[in-house]
Amino acid sequence: MEVEIRNRPAFANLLVNLQPGDRIIAEADAMASMSSTVDMTTRMNGGLLRALARRFLGSESMFVNQFTTNSSGHIVLTQPFPGDIVCVELRGNTLFLQPGAFLACEPGVSLGLGFAGFRSWLSGEGLFRLKMSGSGRIWFGAYGAIFTREITDEYIVDSGHLVAYEPSISIRVGLAGGIFSSFFSGEGLITRVRGPGKIYMQSRSFDGLAAWTNAHLW
Amino acid sequence: MPWNVIKVDKMLDPNQQFRGGVFHHSIPDGRIGADIRISPSEIIAEPSAEALSVMDPSEIARMPRWVIPLSECQVDLGGASGRMVFCRNKERDLTIFCEERGFAAVLGDRSGGMLSEQLHLVKKRQAGENHRFRFWLTVGAVATLLLGVIGYYSVLAAARLAIAAVPISMDEKIGSMAMQTIEKEQKLAADHPATKFVTEIVDRLKPHAAIPEMNFKVIVIQSSEVNAFALPGGQMVVYTGLLKKAETGEQVAGVLAHEMSHATLRHGLQRVSQSLGIVAAIQFLIGDAGGLLALGSQAAQTSILTSYSRQSETEADLEGARMLHEAGLDPESISAFFDKLKKEDGDIPGVLVWVSSHPLHEQRIESIAKFKSTLAKKEYGPLDLDLDTVRKSLQ
Repeated sequence: MEVEIRNRPAFANLLVNLQPGDRIIAEADAMASMSSTVDMTTRMNGGLLRALARRFLGSESMFVNQFTTNSSGHIVLTQPFPGDIVCVELRGNTLFLQPGAFLACEPGVSLGLGFAGFRSWLSGEGLFRLKMSGSGRIWFGAYGAIFTREITDEYIVDSGHLVAYEPSISIRVGLAGGIFSSFFSGEGLITRVRGPGKIYMQSRSFDGLAAWTNAHLW
Repeated sequence: MPWNVIKVDKMLDPNQQFRGGVFHHSIPDGRIGADIRISPSEIIAEPSAEALSVMDPSEIARMPRWVIPLSECQVDLGGASGRMVFCRNKERDLTIFCEERGFAAVLGDRSGGMLSEQLHLVKKRQAGENHRFRFWLTVGAVATLLLGVIGYYSVLAAARLAIAAVPISMDEKIGSMAMQTIEKEQKLAADHPATKFVTEIVDRLKPHAAIPEMNFKVIVIQSSEVNAFALPGGQMVVYTGLLKKAETGEQVAGVLAHEMSHATLRHGLQRVSQSLGIVAAIQFLIGDAGGLLALGSQAAQTSILTSYSRQSETEADLEGARMLHEAGLDPESISAFFDKLKKEDGDIPGVLVWVSSHPLHEQRIESIAKFKSTLAKKEYGPLDLDLDTVRKSLQ
């Protein structure tokens, strides 16, 4: 299965070329166009309760779509917001995704939902996170560009910019500076991540967009 | 407790395999899922079946197994769950990690307790961090709450002060703007008996208003709704449903005095400036601190505005009662109409909504009666206007 990430970084989308025997699983509503030779089947994402949890706690759809073909064909998958998409290949390791980031994966990957804890919640990263494990490629998207960093010691990320991280990364909430500068620098709370492991960040945050929009509404 | 360093001797299987992973620069992408075993002298990691399933044979052939002798292993604890055990070699370029229960216990046991001690120290440090986190979380929550309460009362006080400095013409502008949005297709003509009736009442009450020079105007709109309201600046709207429901002219006068008081006490402007002020204060205080705080303050804002509204209703009741008293009408006319509504139509939803935004029924009757007793004794005359003719004209 050949997958190309096109139109990066602003309006990235996936062009998936399917051959007989290939399968790709995509978030509901991600399909923008496809060949008429491609078949789509919809299934609930691992039982009713898990699907419900994924829908309401993980900001993802209850259903996922599976695309296959008997001859050959392609599909185009997109995410609802402007931004980059990256591909990560899991080889028996695990990756946590922020709610709403998941776009597509190969069948060997299992999708779960986990409690991320109050620290994650306070740092604006959500109370729950998606857990991707198994083997195969996954594609996930972000708002703005995506940049990664291999963390060996400690690193600081502003709230709302962390998109994905490995389970070996620990997360702590902190103030950006002292009490005064934290309030007045506009940085507020930040996330302190501690390695080892890799983190994926987005160059824009939804909170930032919301604040900017609000400023222009009033 | 995820693992226990004391109960190590409980069911240790020498060949037990754990699922985990390896970080090493020789691996493409630097990481791989691995199966981990702990022999009496070494920690051994090999690519897991899942990892092997996506690797091509040449890669598998090149893939080594990773070994850390227990004697030179350095352990650390961390990860997203706080329970992941990291084992590093002496050069610290190889990390074998595992999150499974029992891994730490087996590791401690095999190393003859040496690694247990290391883990114990890390765990102690972690507990200290957790403790500090909880402490600062509490401090933060209390400080936010305090700032919110102080900020709220400052905004209220500031809004009142600010309004005193704003000219009445501002009220009139806001009122006219709001008036434009009101549906006036069913408006009754100026010479309609109903319009004349309410205009006469307003004219009689006007000289006794707190701001007599306010430009009071009243229109009547044909509608079954039992409602009347005043806009900032003194423009008022009365629905015919209210006139039909009222028993006496005094009851209508009571409602109008109450509504005129909202205008003279400038409640509309207060409401606008307070909600703007509260929003601005929240923005200023919280900045980008996240959805949690914004969510909490939004809920607070709503309840602040409802309770504010009740407070101004009570103020309007008392000010209206004063106006009626000065005009020679019984202040308790205000309670009379609400009393009637409550008794007759208490369970009709439309009426209930209007009543519910007003102060608790018994409380308002009581506070008006109490206020009346503080006023100089006075003979109250009847209102010399004929409500019956008005009601007939509305049939």
